[in-house]
Amino acid sequence: MFILDDLLFRPFVGIVDTLHTMALSEIYDIDALEDELKENQLLYELGERPETEYQRRKDELEDELEIARDVHERLTSGRVEVKS
Amino acid sequence: MTNRYVYGVMTDEPVEFETDAVGGADRVYTVSHRRLSAVVSTIDTTDPEETDADAQRHDDVLREIMDRDGGRTIVPMQFGMAFESDRALKNVLRGAKPAFRRAINDIEGRIELGLKLVREEDADVDVDAVEKAVADELNPIAAQSVPNDLFSDRLVLNRSYLVDRDDRERFDEAIARFEDEHDDLIVRYTGPFAPYSFVDVKIGAQR
Repeated sequence: MFILDDLLFRPFVGIVDTLHTMALSEIYDIDALEDELKENQLLYELGERPETEYQRRKDELEDELEIARDVHERLTSGRVEVKS
Repeated sequence: MTNRYVYGVMTDEPVEFETDAVGGADRVYTVSHRRLSAVVSTIDTTDPEETDADAQRHDDVLREIMDRDGGRTIVPMQFGMAFESDRALKNVLRGAKPAFRRAINDIEGRIELGLKLVREEDADVDVDAVEKAVADELNPIAAQSVPNDLFSDRLVLNRSYLVDRDDRERFDEAIARFEDEHDDLIVRYTGPFAPYSFVDVKIGAQR
């Protein structure tokens, strides 16, 4: 019984695991966040974005980026456990 | 505070001056191996955090050296290179000597300038035509150029140029001409910077 469970379960876990990793990578998209940080800076320098809004957005994005980097580090080191 | 934070590497005379340096230090000096000198300040970590203020100080130190004695050449390091001792740093200078020599050769007497072209919010821009117009104006003057990320939908072009100091004025004039002829583009012309985009020497920090 144990062996059967294990065999049945394994491919399933594999797919869930992969989907989960992909989903996390998409939510915590480091490149997109970095681009947005640079765009925020550019719009501020061009005078199109007021300083208060620029600063608020910058803080927000930097926080998100820190979380995203943390998640990616865990994903690549395999420390994110997938519960199914 | 015995670690050394590295700004860049040069072959000119050693320097020493007081300034606002990275990580709260107030003095910049050189650590040399033979004719290669690393421009450093002391720091209490080998893994400095890149704050906006410290990134600015890193740039300012490089600019200060580039402006000395009518224009020095320094191979800039990216932010964050720190070594635990003079010995560790000298070992790296010795090991990477050929790479530093090549880099110095490439950038000697040259500066980096940045050009971003941003589309006016409602403008419809022919990107290919803009790229060609820019290349026609600037490529004959620049020694080299490299493309950078188009990180915003508004960006039409984003390039870094390596330009001889002696050609700086001609380059400025070419940019001004281009700007006059293109009302639908906002021109962001920046620099001079240390030629980060044109050197590829990375040195590993000793942890």
